[in-house]
Amino acid sequence: MKKWFLATLLITVTTFSVQMALAEKMSHKEYATTAISDCNSCHKSEGVAPNHEGDWVRGHRVLASKAGSNCSQCHDQSFCLDCHSGGGIDRDLSTRNYHNDYVPKSHRSNFLSLHPVKALDNPQSCNRCHDASYCSECHSRFPKGSLRIKSHLMLGPNHQKYAPALFEHATEARRNLQSCQACHPDGDVCVQCHSAKLGGTNPHPRNWGSISDNYRDRAGSKVCTKCHLPGTY
Amino acid sequence: MGMKGLTGVLLLGTLLVAPAAWSAEIHGRSSTQLLWFNNDYNSRRETDLAEYLRLSVTNLDKAGKASIYGYGRMTQDLNNGNGFNSRLYYLYGEYRDLFDKVDFRLGRQFVNEEAGTAIVDGAQVTLKNVGPVAFSAFGGRNVIFDLDNEGGHGGNLALGVSAYLQGFKATDFEFSWFRKWDDWDIAQDMLGATFKQYLFNNIKIYGNGRYDLTAETFNELLGGIKYFPLANLIFTGEYYQSYPTFDSTSIYSVFAVDRYREAAFRVDYTINEMITLNGGYTAQFFQEGGKGHIYHLGCILRPIDPLQLNVEYDNNQGYNGSTNGIIVDAYYDLTKALQVSGGIAYDVYQRDSLLQDEIARTYWLGGKYKLNKSMTASLRVENTVTDQFSSNVQGRFVFDYDF
Repeated sequence: MKKWFLATLLITVTTFSVQMALAEKMSHKEYATTAISDCNSCHKSEGVAPNHEGDWVRGHRVLASKAGSNCSQCHDQSFCLDCHSGGGIDRDLSTRNYHNDYVPKSHRSNFLSLHPVKALDNPQSCNRCHDASYCSECHSRFPKGSLRIKSHLMLGPNHQKYAPALFEHATEARRNLQSCQACHPDGDVCVQCHSAKLGGTNPHPRNWGSISDNYRDRAGSKVCTKCHLPGTY
Repeated sequence: MGMKGLTGVLLLGTLLVAPAAWSAEIHGRSSTQLLWFNNDYNSRRETDLAEYLRLSVTNLDKAGKASIYGYGRMTQDLNNGNGFNSRLYYLYGEYRDLFDKVDFRLGRQFVNEEAGTAIVDGAQVTLKNVGPVAFSAFGGRNVIFDLDNEGGHGGNLALGVSAYLQGFKATDFEFSWFRKWDDWDIAQDMLGATFKQYLFNNIKIYGNGRYDLTAETFNELLGGIKYFPLANLIFTGEYYQSYPTFDSTSIYSVFAVDRYREAAFRVDYTINEMITLNGGYTAQFFQEGGKGHIYHLGCILRPIDPLQLNVEYDNNQGYNGSTNGIIVDAYYDLTKALQVSGGIAYDVYQRDSLLQDEIARTYWLGGKYKLNKSMTASLRVENTVTDQFSSNVQGRFVFDYDF
C-alpha cells in the first residue's frame, strides 16, 4: 500500500511539474535596457520571479549556471569578467578600482585591512574569482611578520611564528586553511611538525582511510612523499 | 616571447583581423583610461595609462552565424617603473547553429558550469535542439590570472562536460563534470548540479551543489526558496554549506578542515517607484561551536526624478572579527547628458578581540558626460582615510568610444 501511495505521488508530482515546465523560454534581448522595476509587470503574471532583485550579487551564481541561463542575451562575457577577473569596460561611477583591476562592491572602503575578516567568513568566497596563487603572490610581497595573523602574534621577533602550545593554530587552520596557504603556498612550515618522516602529528581528516587512494591516484607521489618515505603510504 | 608579449600581439591581431572581414559588422567599445593610485607594495604614487578594448565582429558569413569576440586591456605605468602590462580576457571565434543543432567556440573564453568555472584557451562545443536535453563540452589550457600577469604554465588544463534541460520555461536542471590539471597531474575532479523550479505562480525553489570526487565530500551545497506573494514583494530563505577542498597537487589537500554553514533570510520590497527596501539576516555556523551573525538593510530612494539615492548598512558579528558599515551613493542627472554622483563608505571593523576597532572611510565624487551618441567621458576621484593613511587618493579619467 505504501509503495502504491509513493508511486502515485511521484507520478502526480512529475506530471504537474512537467505541465508547469513545458513552455519555451522567450528571448530577453529586446528588454535589455528595460528598468529592473518594470520586469515584474510580465514576470509575476507568468509565475517567474524577477531574478535581478536586491540580492542579485549573491543569488546570481545559481542563475548564471548553464541550466536555462539566458544571461548572454543581454550581457557580454565582459560583464562577468569585469567583476570576476578585474576587467573594467562596463564599470559605472560607483564601481571602485584596485590599481588596474575593477572590483565588485564587496571590496568596500579599506579592503586591504578588511579582507581578512571577509575571507574568514565563508572559506570559498575568495576562490570564486581568485586562484590560490593570487593570494600568495600578494602576501609574499610583504615582509615577514608584517601581516597580523592571530595565532602568530605570540612568538618570534617579528611575530612570524605561531604558538603551537596554545592550540590556537590548529583551530584556525582547520577553519580556514586557505589563510595558511596564502603565505605558505608549499606548506613547508606545516610539514615541519606534521611529517610522518619525523613522527609528527597526523593532519589527515577522519575519513582519510577511505579517500587516501584518490589522492595517490591523481597527484602521484608529489604530495605524499613530502611527509612519507616512498612505499610507506 | 613572454606571455605579456603574446597577449599584446593577440590584442593587436583583433584589430588587424577586423578590416579584412569586408562583409562583417564591427562593434565594440574603446575605453581609454588614466588611473592614479597609491601602489601598496612600494608606497609610491603610480599613474597608469590604460586602453581597454571590447570588440565584436559579426556576420562574418552570409548567414550571420560566424563571429569573433574579443576583450582585453593594455596598461603603461608612467612613473613607477612597472612598465607595460596587458591582459587578454577573451578572444574567440564562434559559429552558431550549425544544422540548427551545434555551436562552436574556439579561442580564449570564460566557461561556466556548476562543477567549475575557468578561462580557457581552447574550444567549447554545444549540442542543442536534439530533445529536452542539451549537451556542452569544453577543454583547453586553464588560464590563471595572478596579480599582474598570467600565472599558469603548460600543464594547466581544464575540461568540462555538462548536460542540461532545454526548452522548459519553469524548470532548469544541469549536471556537469569538471576536471582541472596542474602541471599534468589531476588537481580537481568535481561533479556539479543545479536546478530551479517555479511553482504555483509565486514560489521558486532552487539549489546547487559541487561534489569533490577526490575528497568524496560536498564542496558546496546550496538550497533556497523564494516566495513572492505580490509582484513587488519577495521573501528568500537559503541554506548554504561549504567544505573547503584544495587542488590535490597541494599539500593542503590532505589536511583536515572544518565545515562552514549558513542560513539566510531576506526580504525585498518595492513599495512604489520612489522606495525600494531590502533587509536580511544570515546566521553563520562554524564547526566547534563558533557562530556569527550578519544583518543587512538597504534601500533605493528616488524622491525626485533625476535623483537616486542608495543606502546599504550591514553588520557582521563574526566568530573571528566584526564589521559594521554603511554605504551611501547618490546620482543626479543634471541634464540628459550630464550625471554627477558621489558617495561615502564608512566601515568600523575589529580583526579579533586582541585588537582595537579600526575605522575606514571612503569618499568619492564622480561625473559622466555623454558628448554624443558614441562618446562618453567620466571622472571618478576617491579618498580613503584609514588608521594607516590619513589620505589615500585614487582616481580615474575615462573616455569611452562606442563603435
